[in-house]
Order: sequence, then structure tokens, then C-alpha cells
Amino acid sequence: MVPSNRERFHDALDRTQWDEAAALLQTLLPEDAAGILRKLSFDQQQPLFRRISLDTAAGLLPRFPYYDQYVLLHSRTGEDMRALVDKINPDDRMRFFDELPEEAWQRLMDELAIESTARAEKSEPQRTLPENGPQFRETIIDARQVEKAFEQPDGNKIQVVAPLDLAIESNTICALLGPSGSGKSTLLRILSGLTRPTGGSVQWRGHPIEDNRNVGIVFQSFALFPWLTVLENVEVPLTARAIEHRVRHQQALKSIGMVGLRGFENAYPKELSGGMKQRVGLARALAVEPEVLFMDEPFSALDVLTAENLRGELLQLWTDHQIPTKSIFLVTHNIEEAVFLADRVVVLGKHPARIRADFRIPLAHPRERKSAQFLVYVDYIYKVMTQPELDVGSLTKVPALRKLSVQVLPHATAGGIAGLLEFLNDRGGQEDLYHLAEELLMEVDDLFPIVDGAVLLGFAESRQGDVQITSTGKEFAEADILERKRLFRDAVLSHAMLIRQIRKALERKSDGAIPLEFFHDVLDEHFSQEDVQRQTDTALNWGRYAEIFGYDSETGRLTLEPAAKITDSGEEPPPH
Amino acid sequence: MSESGSASKVSTSTAWGVVSPGATSFARELPIVLAGIGLFYAVLVFAHYWSGPVNFRAQISLSPASLPKYALFSVLRLVAAYIISLVFTLIYGYTAAYNRRAEKFMIPLLDTLQSIPVLSFLPGVMISMVALFPTRQLGVELGSILLIFTGQVWNMTFSFYSSLKTIPSEMREAATAYRLSWWQRFWQLELPQAAIGLIWNSMMSVAGGWFFLMACEMFVLGNRDFRLPGLGSYLQTAANSGDTRAILYGIAAMIGTIILMDQVIWRPVIAWAQKFKLEQVSGEAPRSPILSLLRSSRLLPFVSRSWIFPLREKLDLHFAQKSTELSASSGKTRRSRWFIASATGLALAGIAYAVAKMLAMISTLSVIEIRHILLGAGATFLRVEFALLLAATWTIPAGVAIGLRPRLSAVAQPIAQVAASVPATALFPIILMILIRAGGGLGIGSIVLLLIGTQWYILFNVIAGATAIPADLKEVCSTYRLSLLDRWRTLLLPAIFPYLITGFVTASGGAWNASIVAEYFHFRGETISTLGLGSIISQATDSGNFRVLLAATVIMAMIVVTINRLVWRRLFSIATTRFTLQG
Repeated sequence: MVPSNRERFHDALDRTQWDEAAALLQTLLPEDAAGILRKLSFDQQQPLFRRISLDTAAGLLPRFPYYDQYVLLHSRTGEDMRALVDKINPDDRMRFFDELPEEAWQRLMDELAIESTARAEKSEPQRTLPENGPQFRETIIDARQVEKAFEQPDGNKIQVVAPLDLAIESNTICALLGPSGSGKSTLLRILSGLTRPTGGSVQWRGHPIEDNRNVGIVFQSFALFPWLTVLENVEVPLTARAIEHRVRHQQALKSIGMVGLRGFENAYPKELSGGMKQRVGLARALAVEPEVLFMDEPFSALDVLTAENLRGELLQLWTDHQIPTKSIFLVTHNIEEAVFLADRVVVLGKHPARIRADFRIPLAHPRERKSAQFLVYVDYIYKVMTQPELDVGSLTKVPALRKLSVQVLPHATAGGIAGLLEFLNDRGGQEDLYHLAEELLMEVDDLFPIVDGAVLLGFAESRQGDVQITSTGKEFAEADILERKRLFRDAVLSHAMLIRQIRKALERKSDGAIPLEFFHDVLDEHFSQEDVQRQTDTALNWGRYAEIFGYDSETGRLTLEPAAKITDSGEEPPPH
Repeated sequence: MSESGSASKVSTSTAWGVVSPGATSFARELPIVLAGIGLFYAVLVFAHYWSGPVNFRAQISLSPASLPKYALFSVLRLVAAYIISLVFTLIYGYTAAYNRRAEKFMIPLLDTLQSIPVLSFLPGVMISMVALFPTRQLGVELGSILLIFTGQVWNMTFSFYSSLKTIPSEMREAATAYRLSWWQRFWQLELPQAAIGLIWNSMMSVAGGWFFLMACEMFVLGNRDFRLPGLGSYLQTAANSGDTRAILYGIAAMIGTIILMDQVIWRPVIAWAQKFKLEQVSGEAPRSPILSLLRSSRLLPFVSRSWIFPLREKLDLHFAQKSTELSASSGKTRRSRWFIASATGLALAGIAYAVAKMLAMISTLSVIEIRHILLGAGATFLRVEFALLLAATWTIPAGVAIGLRPRLSAVAQPIAQVAASVPATALFPIILMILIRAGGGLGIGSIVLLLIGTQWYILFNVIAGATAIPADLKEVCSTYRLSLLDRWRTLLLPAIFPYLITGFVTASGGAWNASIVAEYFHFRGETISTLGLGSIISQATDSGNFRVLLAATVIMAMIVVTINRLVWRRLFSIATTRFTLQG
């Protein structure tokens, strides 16, 4: 009887014939091979893994727990590591990165990036920066324990930014990411000295930020003066510095030339397209030769192509050292934009703003959007942003926070949730959030609340960046309108605290009507003015859709719907 | 203007297609030069007259030959009052917008002052000015100018204040981030932002000045009779003597002056101010031949280059330097804060004293007097509301008809604008003459005057509202063949509602103020009056009865402010939340 490959493999292993054993291993089915490998000691695993082909390795790797994957990966050369990461099936790769602890992940990403930098250097030596590898970085702006809180008229304090430390370093493009309403812009204004923090200090090279503010700011809405020409707009900050006319003129022209607006000096902003307006904004910011350039969602108001073009040009100016700016601090909600531009990414959480993740992206510029590493970073940031509860063990310590005792209703309409469920159901019930946003042509910011709403109502589950429809969700998606309303009503009444509260209060009133104002006051204790509005908006939308209560906008009163009463008293399904 | 600014001007003037320097250039400069010389002469004449001795009973000549001189005097008076208004507006609006503590009492105060009729200011203003310059005509003149000022300043201040409050936050942040000095911020951000609102309100204010001109140039205060040479006093004198021909001459001169000012000042200013529009897209812009003349002239750019630009450059740099130095050493602020605090304290004490005195004075009124004032208030209330109702009944259908038909609008709008620019008070003598001949009295006449004075606010707002109705909504109406009634109910009325309310607010306030001239009139040597709060105020001014004047003024201010708060503000908030076409 001919010995099986498995037996021959063990035989070769006993003789420490690594090459032969590796060759034999490759003839086995992947699951068998993985099973055998897993039983071996690490001393045997490593030499074998080093000898098998990349394709086999990529097939075997995901069958190991993440710590083994990490060690095995490191048994190969840097070049091979990169290739392997590229070859692994994307879902498995995503899982691996998800499971990997933060420090290990950051180290691995650094290693992979150094490889790619070295490769890029070989192919395009002129692209790389003078200092290779970890660059010389010094702190320019240093924020210590800064926080921002607003005092409500009734004495309640609303914390917008939790005490946090953040430093802006030279030779770095730093992107600040976070969901909308997370206080990104407030943080930018604190760091740039536009707003004073309510606590903590911001220092500019050891001096208070107010004393020397050599900063330029690019605004989302451009903030150009429509009555001034392009040239006059760019001259504005120079005039403020008491720079004499002739010099001012030259400096402004230089700045305008840099952003490619030559010939438009005498145009008024209203004659320009959005992209050109933002170029003026950039020229104005660069005219003062700022040490730090702050950009507050600079590409958000532009169409996709224009934004892409402008991003590329900004990067070009930066990597070619054409601008005197030592550091760029960019606020954005666009994850790809952050990964495309930034050397360092800070992810904020909300209620109140705090740092949830802070890591470097050491990939060389320009970055390839389709490359595995680019996508790994994008995936990772999505993971952090889609899972607000996840403790990513960020490098900066997150201070302990006062937990909100009330439930926060996501700002999503019943129609939006229904649409999401239908879409999910059509797609077989599960979808990656990132793909979902892409396919629905939505900003991920706008998608989150809808997903949160579906999850809160028990129609969907969200795990590690995926949304999955639940059985009730499926039932809902396939139901007719009346059935839907019943399901929605049940879900809302069992999951949404605020709506349950409202119903209870309405039932207790003899006339079944209460002014909405009352609930505003109740919510005031926990939320800012704006959030109170959002909470009641959502509650109204859901409650009206579920026919739990009605609302008369003229009298501002909520009234109990008869249907809701019957459900409650009889504990039976409502009549159709 | 900076050099780049003038460069851009040249480039815009090519767009006007009138640049051909050389041959015609002198002919083009001539009017500008002549205008300059004319202005210089006028100032000279006025200064001479001002420094002259007091002439209480100046003879007003009814000869048409003296009309140009009178027109000039009136215009200069209006201009002087306007300049004071502008300065006041800038200071008051700026303080109210930036000092949160001051804002809390400055804005309600402004609201109240706006509701006080011009004549109620008369005794106080006149007595203090005459006391200030007892031997010179200047005192009386200044009094008259200040009276005109009290009639035109408030809405300008409101407009400037709200413009400052609505500067987009990112633009304000840009100004802060780039550390603009207050000087640069004022010229490059705040004033341009406020410009368009300020200009439209200036036009309204000056129109208001024309409206009250007769009351401001000729009045009796106790036993003293004040007459200042001007178009207003000419018309008043003509009415007193019942000289129909002189009345017509006066009206013609006034209308002519108003149209001339419109063409020479307002149209060019409006056309020029288009660049201050905050909208980021370009559209059809109003044009003005005078502005194109100025733009194509080579004199002005020369003046701008050699005088204005260096001066502005110097000031810009001076303030920028000062502001950078100031931020380096910030010890000065404490002293100025002290100064502000003590000044505020003094002002508050003064106000408290005045309120106490006022209450003491009012408390001496007899029951009969109080009853008379309250009855008058009731009568004026009915009159004002009736006039508004009348105005609404014709302006709503007419305004909608004009607004919905672009072709009709092209014809009707200019006519309405000219008609609206004629101050109703100037026409009053003629209307009264016709009414008296027809057997009516001032009871009806005052309603007609209020109607003429206030209907335009409503008409123009309704036109604007009807023009803004989107075409698709109109198409919906015709697709579903809505009946005329349904069309009005479902589309037209709701759509014009916010505009209508805006018109009503202005018209209502204006009507109350106008009652002082509508209910009390000197005509053919006698005084015609009818029961009303306005006539009580006018009469109290004439007879120097300060207690009644004060009480009646307080009542009127209270009524106007109350109606504003209780009725108009509520309707306005309904209009902006429920009947807005956005979203």
C-alpha cells in the first residue's frame, strides 16, 4: 500500500526535510493542511510556512486564530507579508484586522507600509520625502485637557468636548474624523485659537495660542467676501498684518499663482465655480504663510470630481514642499479622504467629543485607493465609527465619562428605516455598511442613524461593520402597509423609551392630550437644545407612523390615537 | 478703493460698452465738474444763512421763482438729517449688535422710539437747540434737522443691527482668524454686508422725511411760530392762504425734486450696491445711466487713485498696526471697561430720573383730559385699521395681478414707484379742498391721507410675494382646474401671506405716526381737526401743553408697541413657520 501524502509528510517532518514536507503539505486539502499545521509546534510551523507558496499560505492563514496568523505572517519576509495580505480573501482579512489588538495592528500596518515605501522609492525615487522612514516631528500646537461645555439657561451643563489632549506636529497631515455633531469643528476652532476652551490650555510652541496665531483656515462654505475680487480677498489677511501695498500685492499674486488661479485676480467670487472659490479660500489661507493650515471640511461643499481634483493638487503642493506650511490639520467626515491625505488619523466619538482612535498611516503618497492597505485603513476606520461602544483601546487614554441614563433615539425616519430593511432583504439580509453606503449613494454619516434606528427597534443587528436583518425585520420588509404599522408599533413600544413614556403620559391624562413642550422640558435635562429637537422630531415621526399618537402642529399638542389605546388595554393585536 | 479695485472698475466699465476715451471725454466730465461746483455753492449759501441771526417769522414767498431756493434748502436739510441718522445708526447698531448686555435694553428702546410720532419730539428738540444757539439761525435749523432725523433714523438702525447679527458665522470667523483690525473688519465685512439693507432703508427713511417735511419746517410751539424757508413751509403757507396755484407749484417742485434725487442718487447707488449681494451667483442687475457715466469718467478714478487710495492705505495700515500692538499688550481693556460701566450707570440714572418726572407730570392730568386722550386713541385706532383694511382690499388683488403677469408688471411697477414716491402730505391740501367741496370733512380726509401714505408698503410687498410663487404651483392649480376661490384659498393667499404681514407691519406703524398730520391741519387760515390721538398730539404741541403731549405720546407708543408684539409678531411667526415656500 502506497503511503498517503499525509504519512509521507510526517515522515519528511521527522527527517527534518523541510522542503519535502512543505511540498507535500501543499498537495493536501487546505482544511487538512491547516489541521495538521495547527497541531505542530511553533518551531515546526514556522519553517514550513516559510517554504510554502504564497497562494497556499494565503489559503491556510485565515484558518488560524488571529495571534497565530500574526506570528506566521511574520515568519516570512516583508515583501511576502505584503503580498500575503493582498492575497487573503477580503472578508478574512477584515476579520483578522478586526480581531487584532490595536498595538499589534498598528505595528503590522507600519511594517507593511515601510515595505511599500521602500518599493515606491525604487520605482519612483523623486516622489519620496527627504527624510525616509519615521520623519522628524516636533509639536507645534499642544492642547492639554481642553474641553468645551455650554451652560444652558436652566443651569444644566452640556459637555461638547470632553477633556482631551491633542498635539499638532510638524511634517504631518492630521485628519480629524468623526460622525456629524461630534464636535470636530469645535475642536478645530479650539486648536486654531478661534474659540477659547472652557477648560485646559492650548499652547503654540510654549506660548498661549492667543499670542501668536500664525494659522490659515479654509472653511467649508469658503467664507469669501463676495464684494471683493479674488485678489482683494487674498490680500485681506495681509492688510490685517499691516503689510505695505506693494509687498502685499506680490505676496497675494504668488499665492494665487500657487493654487492655479492666475488670470482670475479681478474676478468676483460669484463668477467662480465652487472649486475655484475654494481655491481662493486656500490662496487666502496660504498668503500669510501659516505654520499650521486648518481645513474645516474643505471639500464637502464640492462635487465629487472637483473635490478629487483639489485634493490631489493640495497633496502635490504639500509633498513637493511648495507651501511653507509645516502641518495641515483637516476636519472631515469622509473616510477615504482621510486615508488618502493624512499621515495621522484621529477618530472622535460623540456625546461628548473624545478621542477614540489615534494612529498613523505611514503609506507613501500618492496612495492607491484600490490597494489592499488603503482598504484596510478604510475598513478599520469604518469599524471604529460604526461601533460606538467598541473599545478600540486607543493610544490616547479616554477619560471616564458620565454615562447618559437616557436612551438616545437615532435621527432616522420610519420611512428611512423601512427603506433600509427592504434593501437589506433584497440583498439576502446582510450587507457591509461600507458597501451599503456606497450602493445607496449616501454619506455614511446619514446612513448611521438609519442603521441605528433599525438596530434599536430590533429589526436589524449590526456586527463589526455589517448589518444583518433579524426575523422581525424580514417580516417587516415583506409585510403590507397595515402589517408594517403593527410591527413598527410593537417594536417602538417595546424598544423606544421616549415613545413609551409619551404614551404612558398621554394615557394618564383624561383628555389624552399633552403639549409637546412638556416633553421638551423633560428632555432638556439630558440634551442640548438642538438634540432635544432631534429627539422629539424622531419620536414624533415614529409615533405618528406607528399611529401611537397624533400631533397637531397648530396647537402643539400630542393626542392619543385610539388604536394605541386598544392595543394596550386588551394586549391583543390591533384590528386591521 | 485699492488699485486693484479701480482696475476692476475699468474692466467692469468696458462691460457697459461706453468706454471711448479722448474726444467725448470732456463732455462727459462736464456734468460731474458742474455738480461739484453747484454743491460747493449750496454749502456756502447755507452756511451764510445758518450763521445769520434768528429769524422766527421768516416770510415765505409764494412766488414760483423762489421754489428752486426752497427746494435746495429742503434737500440740504434732509441730507444733513440723513448724515446724522447714518452716524447714529452705525454707532447704535454696532453697540447693540456686539454688546450683549446693552443689546437687551437697546433693542426694546429702539422699538419704542420708533413708535413715537415726530411731533412729540418737537418741544424737547426745539427748546434744547434754541437754548444751545440762542442768537443764531443755526439753533432753529438744527432743531428742524433733528426733527427730520427722529422721523427717519429708526428703521435704518434696525436694518444695520440685523445685518450685523446675520453675518454668516464662517465669514466672521475668517475675520477673527486673520486678525482683522476693527477698521478693516468694518470696511471689508460689516459695512458691505449691511449695505443693501441700509440703502433700501435709507430710501424709505428719506421718503419719510419728505412725508413729514411740512410738519418739520413750519410749526407753532406755545407762543412761538417757527418758519424755515423750504418746500414744506412753502406748501404749508400756500395751504394756509388757500392759494391753489401755489399749492400746485409746490407739489410740482416737490415731485420734481424727488424724481431728480431718485435718478441722481438712489438709482446709481442701488446699481452700484449690487456687488454687495451675498448671493454667490450672478444674475440680472439693475442699471443706472448716471452710474455708467461716473464709471466711464476718468476724473473719478484719478481722484480715487491719487487721493482716496493713499488715504485708505494709510488708515488701513495704521489701524492694523495698532491692532497688532494692542493684542500684544492687553492692559488697556480694564480702564475702558470701567469707563463703559460708569457711563452706563449714569445713563440708567438719567433714564430713571426722566421716567419719574414723566410719571409725576402725567399724574397731574385731569380725568376729563385722560378721557379725551383715550377717546382719541380709540378714534385713531379705528381710523388706522379702517385705512389698512381699505388698502388691503385694493392692493391684494392688484398686487397679485401685477406679480403674476410679468408683462403687466413691466408697465405697472414703474408707475407705482413714481406714485409711491410722492409724499401724501403734499397732496393733502388738494384732497382736502376736493373733500370740502364735496361736503366731507377731515374725519374722512384723514382716512384718505392714511390710505395714500401707507398703501404702497402693502402693494409692493404683495407684488414681491406674488412674483415669488413658483411656476409649478401655478401649474398645479391650472392642471386641476381650481376655481378662482379655491385658487386664492389654497395657493395665492398662503403664498403672499408672509409678504402681506411684512407690509402690514410697516403700514400700521407708519399710519399711527402719520395720524399726527392727518387729523390736524392748517388750511385757509383756520385749523381743521378731528377727534383722534394724532390731533391731540399736534394740538398739544401747538399750544405748548406738555402734560397732554407727554400722556398722548406715551399712549400712542404703548398702543403701537403692544399691537406689534401681540398681533404682528405672532402673525409673522406663523407666516414664517407655516406659510414659507422653502422646504
